[in-house]
Parts: sequence; structure tokens; C-alpha cells
Amino acid sequence: MLRAVGLVKSYRAPTGKPIVVLAGVDLSVKSGELVVVTGPSGSGKSTLLNVLGLLEDGDAGEIWFEDTRVSALRRAAKSRARGRSVGFLFQSFLLLPSLTALDNVLLAARYVRRSSAATRQRAVDLMQEVGVGDRMDHFPAQLSGGEQQRVAFCRAVLNDPPLLLADEPTGNLDDANGAVILDALRGRARAGAAVVIVSHRPEAAVGAGAVYRLRGGVLES
Amino acid sequence: MRRLRVLRGYLFTVLGIAIGVAGLVSLGAMSERIVRFIEGGDRFVLGQISVAGRGMGMGTGFTAGGILPAAMIRAISDVPGVQGVQAQIMLPLDPSTSQFMTVTQELVLGVDLSVPTPNRHYRTLPVRSGRYLQQGDSKAAVVGASFAASRGLSVGSHITLEGEDYEVVGVLDRMLTAPDRFIMVSIADARAQWIAKDRLLRTVLASGGMALTASDLNTGAAVGWRDGDDPDTVALRIKERVPGVNVQLPSELSRLLRSSTAFFSALLVGIGALAFVIGGLSLANTMAAAIFERIRDFGVKRALGASDLQLGGEVLAESLAVTMVGGLGGICLARALGWFIDRYLAQAQQLFYFSPRLLGGALVFSILLGAAAAIYATARVVSLSPAEAIRRGA
Repeated sequence: MLRAVGLVKSYRAPTGKPIVVLAGVDLSVKSGELVVVTGPSGSGKSTLLNVLGLLEDGDAGEIWFEDTRVSALRRAAKSRARGRSVGFLFQSFLLLPSLTALDNVLLAARYVRRSSAATRQRAVDLMQEVGVGDRMDHFPAQLSGGEQQRVAFCRAVLNDPPLLLADEPTGNLDDANGAVILDALRGRARAGAAVVIVSHRPEAAVGAGAVYRLRGGVLES
Repeated sequence: MRRLRVLRGYLFTVLGIAIGVAGLVSLGAMSERIVRFIEGGDRFVLGQISVAGRGMGMGTGFTAGGILPAAMIRAISDVPGVQGVQAQIMLPLDPSTSQFMTVTQELVLGVDLSVPTPNRHYRTLPVRSGRYLQQGDSKAAVVGASFAASRGLSVGSHITLEGEDYEVVGVLDRMLTAPDRFIMVSIADARAQWIAKDRLLRTVLASGGMALTASDLNTGAAVGWRDGDDPDTVALRIKERVPGVNVQLPSELSRLLRSSTAFFSALLVGIGALAFVIGGLSLANTMAAAIFERIRDFGVKRALGASDLQLGGEVLAESLAVTMVGGLGGICLARALGWFIDRYLAQAQQLFYFSPRLLGGALVFSILLGAAAAIYATARVVSLSPAEAIRRGA
């Protein structure tokens, strides 16, 4: 489902000196596979996930979703590809504070023009599945961290994206809530999605098809 | 429901815009008020030829100036092109301020009701309640709106002028120009007040040094002209044929009025520019800041697949709604402020005039400027990658 070839990404330090974060990363993730990427803080794990999910452009390399070289698409097509093919889960949840939990979930459907009664019902079902069915009308500030991440998970999977990218999804959660989210991600992999998790937590690797360590800008098995 | 939530999220932005627009509208309303005053005066002087008596040196002209005897009024009537001469008396209500000829002065105007008002632009004055003066009225007064408001007068009220009791028979509509501060009486009553006010005049009359009758006691006259005649030409003709009078050419008087109010005009331009800059900057800054504040939200939306166009349209629609609500709020705030100041602090004078063109212009201005600021800010936001937008907003 996902293939990255020779990804390169560098940033410029305040001194002007380039900092190479990704130095030719190759990665392949099949549909139904769960891949975990670990590595020390600042090693570039989040940057890798952002580049894979088209949230920012790499300096070089290619990204393929199935048979489409998405890294070469124009801005608007990249936006469409993101909306239809990728679900994101972030460490800090990134729910919109002015929307209720249900509206946050439904936001994922708005930009791919899937808003309908069926979509709404699916959002409600998903929220009930992960145990936040009674929090639909609550605003993010009224939810615990665990509840917010569950809502964010529902938003990430609402459109049934073939690729799920999770950036430290349990980083702000206690063990119990972390386990719920990791189980849910494993469930998506079992259901056929390609899942990439970036995490410090050893338990994230449980059930993973592959575990990589990002060091020196390259992935090591 | 969603719109309400969006507006709630923008509450402080709406308030910020409302305050900016309120400032713009308030300053604009003060400008409009002055414009109306100047335009009203200009319209008045262009509607008639104003003639005054010479002499006596008490601010010669319409206000307690020299005497314009009945013989001169008859002579003016005989000048070719003249149509209608109305003898008038204009006196300061408080003589101690007469020499200053202030634009806010309260004046007693006595008019000869046997002659129709010659002023082409003010054939009649608009009466809000009661009636206008009629021939034969005695100790009856019609008062201007500000004059009535400042003294709590209404039809049937009584007012004492030079020791005499007058009944208010009419109150004029607010005109935003000089008659708002007038008290109008018959010319006979005005003559009695003039004599009572002016010790020098009493001395002259008592000495018998001047052969004057009651009909000679006029401070000026409003002169009309026949259709097709040029008012300036008729005025020059009066000047040539009737010696001993001050004749003002309408166009010259208009020019004089405008040059004497040039300071106000410059002030207006300054106020307008200031209102434009302060209100505009405040509005644009508030709107742009509100969008930059939500940069993380926009990053999230782009991560969810929002295209530049979708995001831009969404932000633009929200900003239009926000500036419209803020603009309307600002207009209401300015009107409330103007009402409060006029009612409680300005001694019943009207300092603000919220003209339709001002309110419409302010609303359009705020919406356009808000939209422009929103487009600028959105363009900046969408130029970032979603990841960068999320990072910056964190």
C-alpha cells in the first residue's frame, strides 16, 4: 500500500547550517500490516510520518500510495490524496476546540465530500465502539486525554483510509488508555489498513509486522 | 447552530471589530453632523439675498446690527428683479455673547408674517408639533428642536423673554443647522424685545434724535428674486440703487461661509482620515490575528484533506459573517454612545448624525476590509505545509 524510496529531508538551523533528518529512507508497508518506528527523541520520527502522510514535502525521494506516485502530485491533488487515503493520529490529539466530539469526527468527511446521514451514523457507531458514545456533544475541553484520543481515532478512521499514520498516539495517555488506542490500531491493521506507528513505548511493537529504528536519518531493522 | 458556535469562537474578534467600527462610525457621525450644519447654512444663504442695515456697530449684520428702516425695505422692493422682501429681526437671546457671533448661538428671530418667506430653499420650516407662526400672533413662539430640548419646552409651554410671557405654539423638527437654536416670534414682539435689550436704542428713541417708527426697527431683510433672474445680479442692483444698506451676494456669502468654515472642513478631513486609519487598522488587525490564532486548526483541516480553495472559502465565509456581526454591533454601539452623549452630556444638543450613507458605508467598509484581511491571512496560512501550520499553532 505504502512505498517510500530514498526519502531525504533536512532543515536549516538558525545558524544556517543544514540539519539532515532523513537521509534516504526506504520503507514499504503492505495493506493489513502494522509497522512500528522507534528512535530517540529528535531522530526524525515525526518528520518521517509527516512526509509519508504528505503533511510536508521531502527534499528528495518518492512516495507511492498503491500505484500512484503521490509525492509528485500538485497541492490540490495531494490534499485529495490525504483526505481519501490517510488517517492521522497525533500525540496531542489535535481536536478543534470549537467543535463537539461528534463534529470533530465528522470533520474528516467534510473535505472528501462524504457528509451524509450514513456517514453520521458511522461516526456515532465508531464513537460507541471505542467508548465515547456518551460524549458526542461534549467539547474537547470537557473530555479527558484518553477520551480525546479516542475521538481523534474515530476521526482518523471515519473514511476507512487504507493508510493510518500514528505519531506517538499514546504519548499523552496513561497505560490503560494507551492500550485501548493500540488495540484499536491493531484492529485497523487486521481489517486491512496499512498502519505505521511512531512510538517510544515497547508495547506498541506487540503484534507488529515490522519494527524499525530510525537512526542517523535511516531506518534500521 | 454551527454558525452560532463559530461566532462564539470568534467572540473577542467580533468585539474587537465592533469597537473599531464604533470608533469609525462615532467619528464619522460627528463629521456628518458638522457637514449638515455647514450645508444647511450654505443652502440658506443661497436661497435668498440677505440685506442688513448699516451702523450702530454692534456686530453689523443680521445679529443685532444696524437698523434697516421701512423706507429702505420699500426701496428694495422696487428694484427690478426683486420678488418679495421680508423684514426680519435677529437678536441674540443672550446679548453678552452677541459680539462673538458663534455658530451655536441661540437667536431670537422676528419675521414679518404678512410677507411670504422669500427664501427659495426654506419656504416653510418643518414643524414637529404644534404649528408655525401665523399673522396676528402675539406673545406666541415657535422654537427649534435643540432650544426646546435644552429647556424641556413643548407645545403649550411658556417661556419668559425680556420679562414677557410667551406661549410655545410650535416646535420645529431637528434640522441640524442654525434654526435648531432659534426662537421665532412675530416681528412686533421681536421689536419690543430689541428695545428692551438695547439701551443705546432706547436712548436714541427717547431722545427723538432719529425719526423712527416701529416699522423702522428691522435688523435686516430676506429678499427673493424673480424666476429667471440671477440672484447675484439682483443683489448688485440693490447695492447700486439703495444706498446705506449691506447687501450680501448669495454666491459671495456662500463663499464666505465656506471659507469661514474651512477650518471645520479641514477638521472633517482629519477626523475622517483618522477614523479610517484607526478603525480600519483595528478591524484588519483583529481579523488577521483571529485567523493566525487558529493556524493549528487550519493545519488540522488541511491534514484531513481540505484544499486551499475549500479552506479559503470557509475562512472567507466565516470572516464575512464575523465582520458583518461585528460591523452591525459597532454601529449599534456607536448609536448607543451617541444617544447617551447627546441625551446626558451634550445638554440636548445633537453632536452626532448617523446618516444612512455613513452607516451603509461603514458596514461595507468593515466587511470589505475584514474580507481583505482574512484573504491576506488565509493566503499566508495556506502557504504553509499542514505540518508547519500545526507546529506553529502548537
